[in-house]
Amino acid sequence: MERKLLMTIRGVTKQYPGTLALNNIDMDVYGGEVLGLIGENGAGKSTLMKIMIGAETATSGTLEMHGKPYAPHTPIEAMKLGVGMVFQEQSLIMNLTVAQNIYIGREEQYVKHALVDTRRMNEDAQKVLQGLEITNIKSGTRVNRLDFADRQMVEIAKVFDSVGASEGEGSIILLDEPTSVLSEKEIQQLFRHVRRLCTRGNAVIFVSHKLDEVMEIADRICVFKDGCKVDEMPNENLDEGILYEKMVGKTASGEYYHVARQRVPEQDVVLELRKLCKRGYFADVDLQLHKGEILGICGVVGSGKEDLCAVICGDEDPTGGEILVRGQSQRFASPSQARKAASILSVPRERRVEGIIGELSAYENICMSNFDGVRQNGVISDKLAKVQAEKYVQELSIKLPSVNQRVGRLSGGNAQKVVFARILASGCDILILDHPTRGVDVGAKTEIYSIIRDIADQGKSLIVLGDTLDETIGLSNRVAVMKDGEITKMFDAPPDGKPEQVDIVKYMM
Amino acid sequence: MEKQVHVSRIGEEFKQEMKKQSQRERFISWAPVGILAFLVVLFSIIAQGFFSLTNLQNLLKQLAIPLVMSLGLTFVILMGSTDLSAQGLAGFVGAIMALMVVNSKNANNMGFLGILIAVVAAILVTAISGIIHIKGKLPTFMVSYAVSSIMQGFAVLSYKGEPALIRDEFFTTMSQGSFLGIPYLTYIALAMFVIAYVLQFKTRFGSYVMAIGDNEGIAKNIGVNIDLTKFKVFLWLGVCIGLVGFMGAVRLGRGEVGIGSNLVFPAITSVVVGGTSLSGGKGGVVNTLVGAMIVTVINNALVLLGVSPYVQQAVQGMIIIAAVAISIPHGKNLIVK
Repeated sequence: MERKLLMTIRGVTKQYPGTLALNNIDMDVYGGEVLGLIGENGAGKSTLMKIMIGAETATSGTLEMHGKPYAPHTPIEAMKLGVGMVFQEQSLIMNLTVAQNIYIGREEQYVKHALVDTRRMNEDAQKVLQGLEITNIKSGTRVNRLDFADRQMVEIAKVFDSVGASEGEGSIILLDEPTSVLSEKEIQQLFRHVRRLCTRGNAVIFVSHKLDEVMEIADRICVFKDGCKVDEMPNENLDEGILYEKMVGKTASGEYYHVARQRVPEQDVVLELRKLCKRGYFADVDLQLHKGEILGICGVVGSGKEDLCAVICGDEDPTGGEILVRGQSQRFASPSQARKAASILSVPRERRVEGIIGELSAYENICMSNFDGVRQNGVISDKLAKVQAEKYVQELSIKLPSVNQRVGRLSGGNAQKVVFARILASGCDILILDHPTRGVDVGAKTEIYSIIRDIADQGKSLIVLGDTLDETIGLSNRVAVMKDGEITKMFDAPPDGKPEQVDIVKYMM
Repeated sequence: MEKQVHVSRIGEEFKQEMKKQSQRERFISWAPVGILAFLVVLFSIIAQGFFSLTNLQNLLKQLAIPLVMSLGLTFVILMGSTDLSAQGLAGFVGAIMALMVVNSKNANNMGFLGILIAVVAAILVTAISGIIHIKGKLPTFMVSYAVSSIMQGFAVLSYKGEPALIRDEFFTTMSQGSFLGIPYLTYIALAMFVIAYVLQFKTRFGSYVMAIGDNEGIAKNIGVNIDLTKFKVFLWLGVCIGLVGFMGAVRLGRGEVGIGSNLVFPAITSVVVGGTSLSGGKGGVVNTLVGAMIVTVINNALVLLGVSPYVQQAVQGMIIIAAVAISIPHGKNLIVK
């Protein structure tokens, strides 16, 4: 059977400040096929989809749909041209009915004398749902009365119908992690709709962390890695092992992460988690962190690693289990209490929003987590704060005209070093680093790795959620892998026997 | 290939949490009706004269103006904004309307035309503040507060110190008369409720306001004309404030700026007590009807119980804090400013 070409993507590149999200992507989408996209977080899948639905514009490169140039500026425009997306975060209006949600923005056909014919709209919406074999949802129900899986089905029905309405030459539907809240039965149901849609000449692009699902539904699979499309193959005789290998990023040399400086941690356990739970996020996490140890945690988005760290640093409350700090059971009401009572501090992921106060100077930022060292007669002494800041600026070789420099103006690498100076000045000795090198250029990255080694040398303990898998492995003494809120595997990562990325990815997905 | 059928524990837990949350929301959405019923029973027992036909008539009369005012604000609040302009604007409408019908200060006798002009004036003013908000991207709170102050000034200027007394017989009887035991002004309020109901549930406008209040980003992606919808909300607010000014003047028998005072706060209380979220996207005109009834019943009963007016104001303040505390989402990491 001859396949009809729906969309061609040529040389699409997306440059964000500091990162190349997509690098020269070529891809074709054919009518009647399910195209699976796989890759780690940050491999570029989401960016490509955003460009396809007009939520982002490519820095360079071209897209064509049905042989004509295609450059939508908004998702609604893309929808009219036959490209629709089911978002992972749902886009339903909670207090409207299912029917109102399915037809929102497209009500013209039901409007007479400025009034909406609700009954006819409900009937038609019911037919749309029936067409997708969804029988348990009444179209007149308000969406907030539905459970999560049903909402997801409504979302899918909405996009299927709006793209179907413009169907003619063949449409493209993008599904981003559509199955994460669905049961096995609902997933099979969804797959049937997907196949039916394809037999009518449409294409479905399916993005998922669940490799088994992609391998079940896709006709063709594209693998993304570090913003590039590294491979494209028909879904025949593939096994997961091959795909894992193609997905993992390049391995940097041990020198890059200063692996030679990796030390053997001491025996003392400074932090222990016993059966720690947060309902709906993670369950029964047992973990020990030793003095001077760097512990990496890996997992895909939604694996619970971020939530786990938020609980450890006091930002969220656990629903069960125990946190023991130096043998003593602790509960923190806030991050400030975790810092004071247990000497735990976290370096947040979003530096500009959570890590620094851009309007303040470097020296003010540096003393922010601990005013005790710079207090004189009860008030903060600018002089002491500046002296302290000077010391760290030199130690961490932060490039600053003076410590009075406003931090908001600094480059990513230097701003991050200011964050590390604040961490050091805090005197805390259990540190949680959430993406410590995000938005930092390569040169500054290796300096930051060196700072992290210094911190470990001082006998402090660190938990690291790396920007890449390679980074996590390169830095850590041990690597914990999380999936669906549970620790699935613990790897030892000594300098001479670092685990392979492929082996870790297997436990993540 | 072996198929994995693994339903993760946290996935199940997450579903349960969502279910719990939606049950809680459902319970809260019915709470205003329960509270109203409870208050009616309570006051019937403890406040002498509460449960009587005369008082029912009183209640209907007292309900009229606050109901229209809160119906106007409902759509504003549904899309996540606020509007405080009624204080000055309703006073202005009442003042100029009194000057245009038969009155004590001049020889005008425009009758219904006068009312029409006054209401149109209100719509024009809210339309302008709407445009300032939409195009200038200024917060509705600040714009409407300033507009209120401006219109208050104009109101006093219009009658130069001494308010006009309404001498038009039609309007003086209107304030007291009733049909089938229901006061005339209450009919106006009920008609406005029906219109508001149709607007919310039977027009695209109603869905779009809800969409904007729930998540403006989604609404935009869906293709909702956000600016136009917001502008229409302000027009509707103008209609309501215009009517409130007119009803206030009729009720008082004169067109003075004070008509607008003590109007906005009870109206916001009614909207919020009824279960409409101040952050938008939740609630609606039916909630507002219940909320306005609750506020009216409480004020009425406090008078019957002989509570001082100052204490009544304090009670109203406490009600709004309690209502907001119940209705907003809670969470450790929710940032509220």
